[in-house]
Amino acid sequence: MSQPTAVSLTQYLSFFIAGEEYAIGILQVREIIEYETVTRVPSAPPWIRGVTNLRGSVLPVVDLAMKFGLPPSTINRRSCIVVVEVSFQGEKLVMGVLADAVGQVLDLGPGDVEPVPAFGTSVQADYLAGMGRAGKKFILLLDIDRVLSGQELRATSVVVP
Amino acid sequence: MKTDLEMVRLAFRAEATELLANLERDFLVLEDSGPGGAEGVLRSIHTLKGNALLMGFPEASEVAHTVEDLLARISQRAIPVTPAVVTLLLQGVDALRLQIGLSPTGEGRERLDVNELRRRLKQAASAGASPEPSPERDGGPSSERPPEAAAHAAPERTLRVGLDRLDRMLDLTGEIAIARGRLTAMLEKAGSYSAEQLLEAHREADHLYLDLQELVLRARMVPIGRAFQPFARTLHDLCAATGKLVRLELSGEEVEVDTTVVDLIRDPLTHLIRNAVDHGIELPSVRKQRGKNYLGTLRLRAFHDAGSIVVEVADDGAGLDRERIRERARALGLLGPNEERQDAELFQLIFVPGFSTAERITKLSGRGIGMDVVKANIEALRGTIAIESTAGAGTTFRMRLPLMLSIIEGFSVGVGEETYVLPLQSVLECVELPREEPRQGRTGVLGLRGQPLPWLRLREHFGVEGPAPERESVVVIHHGRGQAGLVVDTLFGQGQTVVKPLSKLFQHVPGVSGSAILGTGRVALILDVPTLFEKALRLPAPRLPEAPSPTDSP
Repeated sequence: MSQPTAVSLTQYLSFFIAGEEYAIGILQVREIIEYETVTRVPSAPPWIRGVTNLRGSVLPVVDLAMKFGLPPSTINRRSCIVVVEVSFQGEKLVMGVLADAVGQVLDLGPGDVEPVPAFGTSVQADYLAGMGRAGKKFILLLDIDRVLSGQELRATSVVVP
Repeated sequence: MKTDLEMVRLAFRAEATELLANLERDFLVLEDSGPGGAEGVLRSIHTLKGNALLMGFPEASEVAHTVEDLLARISQRAIPVTPAVVTLLLQGVDALRLQIGLSPTGEGRERLDVNELRRRLKQAASAGASPEPSPERDGGPSSERPPEAAAHAAPERTLRVGLDRLDRMLDLTGEIAIARGRLTAMLEKAGSYSAEQLLEAHREADHLYLDLQELVLRARMVPIGRAFQPFARTLHDLCAATGKLVRLELSGEEVEVDTTVVDLIRDPLTHLIRNAVDHGIELPSVRKQRGKNYLGTLRLRAFHDAGSIVVEVADDGAGLDRERIRERARALGLLGPNEERQDAELFQLIFVPGFSTAERITKLSGRGIGMDVVKANIEALRGTIAIESTAGAGTTFRMRLPLMLSIIEGFSVGVGEETYVLPLQSVLECVELPREEPRQGRTGVLGLRGQPLPWLRLREHFGVEGPAPERESVVVIHHGRGQAGLVVDTLFGQGQTVVKPLSKLFQHVPGVSGSAILGTGRVALILDVPTLFEKALRLPAPRLPEAPSPTDSP
């Protein structure tokens, strides 16, 4: 992964899931698309919402809310799909992350990222890369590769009969 | 965007891959073709040497140089072509592959250190002439590793397409542009044309689109020989390791298949060939005792048959041991104590994960892994695999694959909001669900022309929401073990469907083989009929599928 070396600022894109603001490194974000009808894939893990048509190719859409153990996201006017690139079993895989709304683009320097506290966060600490300071509040920086990691996917999809 | 240098690197790697594959092939026949054969090879290795140096692989260039030296000596008839020399040359090919960042095809255990290999190559080259005074030209240990980028960059999936094919596509796109322009012009003044005229213009353009589609699909077709080629080498290594003597017979290398087939069939073929040599074909002494030719034969064959492609791996070895398979199946509980099966069905059991009758575990096979992988790969290609075996006379594995992978004749059905596509070849007929059948329940049996037909209600099986319609239809489907019915809401009919692979995320989802994009822009799933029923049959009848969460469907 190429990190900007000249400038120590890293850009993140933030979005909302179940009222909480999360952010992903912008280099992993490909685009943001409007919510389109998602076709459910039977027997897939419940947090995989289904597949949608992204200009002729088939894009899997995941519902992180369910992954985090929250009730499934409901679709609203501002719902959108953040198209991200993740590493899956050593391959680059493109998938969509369902978000209630898109937030902002954050510029965070090394000093703005705090380590994740051992407990107290709304999601498992190992899904987080850090806590980004934005003004007075903290934004949860997701380690999206980890959240959607191969191990996780495999394990989850295998248990489902 | 790729930089120019990256593009050049990619081109170099593609060329090197091909050159090395050709070298390997030529080396394998060197024993038969003699010194004359070495001359032709010299040119290829020389090209490779130059290119490797140019592209910043000095080590590879050095190895190529020593290989070239050895070949030169062979072509001068200074050294005889012995099996040892051939093995050395093949190791040279592997070393070159490794240094250029390609994966070697040889069986791992024989690989040597590069410096050691170079030394041996030199030694062999100097064997026939006055010994070379300097043992090593550059004594430095191989501190220089091949550039990281080359070794780790994920290989880009590329395909060589004949220029004439591309030219025809270009011509056709030109024609399409004209037809489109004409259609637009007509539509802008739609008032002055009749509906028939407009439809006619559209049909003309449509014809061109279809031609283009056909051409693009054809461009994906490559000769299956590309998948067969590496096996000459595999066999050579296997024979060396087992002490067996096996002759490889190839036929139908020119049969064209989808490029995905070439990629995906390689592993199954490797497993089957290893099994054939390790368990099938007997040692030369044993073969002689049994009155067979001491030289075993392994046949790799490809041919077209009834709209599909058949690939066969046949050996003339001992054949499958029916008794042992039966015993093992009983031990694993796959077969009842007094249950009997037909050969074809019994042999299918060897594809069950963990099923192995091998008494000993060798380096090559017998761990009980592999055969299930073979079956999985073949099924991923929407194919089937059958086994024929005669005790004492050999075993034939017959893989039947669809001709086109990227397009299928599909039959669309609707369930609630969802549309599913079934491969038309498995659809036999459609009937209305008789009124006396229950409106609820996942499975049941109805009588069709006096025969019982088990059915599966897709709505409940997949947990689709919404109320069931007044009338439901049954699509009668032919699957591996007979006929069955799929109960659906609506029938949309047949049509050509372009298959879009589902993401790797869904590789463990049973019953779904791919997806297609509908005219509405929505994605429809293509159902994999055999696994769908296999799963349905395994589940106890009254149990509902995974309870769908209320918001699962949008």
